[in-house]
Amino acid sequence: MSGSIILEYALLIPLLPMMAFPVILFLGKMFNGTPGWINKTKEGGLIALPVMGASLILSIWLIIDSLHGTSGTTLFTWFESSWWDPATGAITTKVFNVGIYIDHLTIMLLFVASFLCFLINVFSIGYMNTDPINDNRNHRFYAEFVLFCSGMLGMVLADSFIWLFIFWELMGLCSYLLIGFYYERPSAAYAAKKAFLTTRVGDVFLIIGLVMLWNLFDGHLDYAYVFNPQNIAAVDAGSLQLALGMMFIGAIGKSAQFPLHVWLPDAMEGPTPVSALIHAATMVNAGLYLVARMFPFFAATPIGSMSTLAIIIAFIGGITAIMAALIAFVQMDLKKVLAYSTMSQLAYIFTGLGAAMWLANNGHMEAATIALGAALFHLFNHAMAKGMLFMAAGSVIHEMHHAHHEVHHHDHSDDDHSANDEDDDFDAQSMENMGGLASRMPITATAMFFGSMSIIGIPFIGGFWSKEGIIAKTWEVAFLEPSFFIPALFILCGAGMTGFYMSRMWLMTFAGKPKTEVASHVVEKTAWIPIPLVVLTFMTLTAFIWAGLEVTGWLGDYDSGHFHGFLSGILYEFKHIFLNHDITLLLLTYVAIGLSMILGPLYAMKLYGGRLEEGQKALPWMGWFINLSGRVNENSDFDNSAWANSSLTKSLHKRLHFDDVYDAAMLKIVVGCANLAALFDTKIIDGVIRGIETTAQDASTKVRSLTTGSARDYIMMAALGTLLIFGLLWGVA
Amino acid sequence: MIDPAYVSGLSAILFTIGLWGAFSRKNAIVVLMCIELMLNAVNLQFVAAAALWGDVTGWVYAIFAIAIAAGEVAIGLAIFLSMYGQHETISLDEVDLLKH
Repeated sequence: MSGSIILEYALLIPLLPMMAFPVILFLGKMFNGTPGWINKTKEGGLIALPVMGASLILSIWLIIDSLHGTSGTTLFTWFESSWWDPATGAITTKVFNVGIYIDHLTIMLLFVASFLCFLINVFSIGYMNTDPINDNRNHRFYAEFVLFCSGMLGMVLADSFIWLFIFWELMGLCSYLLIGFYYERPSAAYAAKKAFLTTRVGDVFLIIGLVMLWNLFDGHLDYAYVFNPQNIAAVDAGSLQLALGMMFIGAIGKSAQFPLHVWLPDAMEGPTPVSALIHAATMVNAGLYLVARMFPFFAATPIGSMSTLAIIIAFIGGITAIMAALIAFVQMDLKKVLAYSTMSQLAYIFTGLGAAMWLANNGHMEAATIALGAALFHLFNHAMAKGMLFMAAGSVIHEMHHAHHEVHHHDHSDDDHSANDEDDDFDAQSMENMGGLASRMPITATAMFFGSMSIIGIPFIGGFWSKEGIIAKTWEVAFLEPSFFIPALFILCGAGMTGFYMSRMWLMTFAGKPKTEVASHVVEKTAWIPIPLVVLTFMTLTAFIWAGLEVTGWLGDYDSGHFHGFLSGILYEFKHIFLNHDITLLLLTYVAIGLSMILGPLYAMKLYGGRLEEGQKALPWMGWFINLSGRVNENSDFDNSAWANSSLTKSLHKRLHFDDVYDAAMLKIVVGCANLAALFDTKIIDGVIRGIETTAQDASTKVRSLTTGSARDYIMMAALGTLLIFGLLWGVA
Repeated sequence: MIDPAYVSGLSAILFTIGLWGAFSRKNAIVVLMCIELMLNAVNLQFVAAAALWGDVTGWVYAIFAIAIAAGEVAIGLAIFLSMYGQHETISLDEVDLLKH
């Protein structure tokens, strides 16, 4: 069987990047600054690229084989551990294995991770190596980059929760290193620390959950054992729910959901490829993956026993979806809009997962697998679109830097072009400095155009297929379980809000007239950058192929038996979405489409629309939109200043005060506890030690007066003492 | 082969000499030598007993004792050196700091 060949090499998928990590790091240290290293290897970029390419090829090979029925396997024993039970006297031996686990969830995420990592690598070569601020330290970037990818690929392929946790933590470390890549900036160092510590809070709960799971399943954490329905049925559902709830908190931290979401916007301090990596390909998907992995537990436990956790998951998702979308309304930083958009879209996926879990736990398996499939399909669409959006944003920022450099070259003697440089008040990431770039950066504008449409859910493009599925399934649950109404309503409103903030971002960046002189000098010219943009635009536009393959059905490991071919698949999806037999759901679909496609963009046009300058022409598929936005904007009587001065806007600028509250809480609680601990340390622990010390000193001073001080006497005493002991022993014997 | 009883006797004589020297001499180096003599008397006893019982344990102990004695000499000489540095003497009669 062909499957066995690839299974032996499958371990190379995470191992190759992991081995490339020290290679790039040490070669970089040795050859740093030499012309060969800079030009021939692109400071390590061309070492990382073939490695990521090999991982991608192996992944695709594994995926093709697994579609033909290859499943995971145990590859070899990692270590054995035995322990002795004093009560029974029995010795238990436990074997820890290394293996890979393959199901539809694995292959979907494997493709997302390896494909996007490869494209981001291509992008990085264009982005990182042409920015003078990165000179002579790109090897560090590429080394950490491949380690990050290795963490994600390993986590996806892991066959037990132990390995999942190990690779999970590897990603946590790499996110810290990469967010703090510009460690000389205090804000970047702060952001890295914040990301690391916030996810750490989640990870503590994750490991508590894993220990609980370990106890429940009698020392097993490998998927093959814990996902076996018979083993799940033997476990107390209440304890299992608690354990999974703990693990879910870990997922919240990793996927930046309320209330552990504060790290994600600050993570924008890292270089743009890192943002793309964290937000699209790896980090945030890990939390979703963990929650999606829990699905079999919900399916195999007694009906209704785990509904609470499913409702909590959906609520967290609903709250985050609307909160992040609100904050995204006022962000001026191009990357921060995308960061909040990521949070919001991940929240959709969480809500979808919550709905799937609820359905699975209440005996609606068919609907549950479709909801799970929709959520995972949204993960796929979001990853593709968000990866592209971040790279497009990177492209914009990069060209803004270059244009700024050209325009202001005469009055800048230093060659530092960093975006947040203190002595340079020009912010290349701020949308207030952009505008009118549609004609100057056609490829980037197109990529962002379709990427935004995919995120908004404009019919037939990318995320539309999956978002409709999530909204419909959540509402379906809401009619069965009233408490789901709140998250369902939240994500429905969120759809319209997505339409607003994504359109706003696109219009502010690409439509209207250039707001600064720099923006009018932007040219799209950096090599390597357009490649991933074009590829991903294609991926986003072809999401209908996946929809036609009824991907939502088979992603949930559910063979619906409906699939008759591609065209009928498309027809089925169309009928399901636009001509649903359930009149309430049909109405909801049109409300969602209306909100996201018409209302959201319309308000964005009113506020931020505008035609290009005279003589500038955008590509035809964007030109009509820009002209329309200009016409809407001219006829708008919307009062922008009232909105800008409202108290809601002000608190949105403050990110709804979450950071302030957390900081204050930290100051009060943590510093207070630290002061108490310090008091305890100085008074009690040090006091005891000092007491022992003075007592011993006093005692020895007193004893000292009894001695002679002569070494000879001590030898005599020792000899006599020995003799005495011997004498006593003799007597006893 | 020599009768182990003779070797034991030699060991006892050496040990007594060492003990007497350690008590009566005032030069620290001579005292150290006497202690070494006692240690080696015990080693001899170990070897003799090992030969008598046909058991290697005694030899192993002797090896350990030699290793420890080497360490002890190194430390002892270092102490005497620093003692000489501070007091300009290594006579045991004149060093009684522990008393004061």
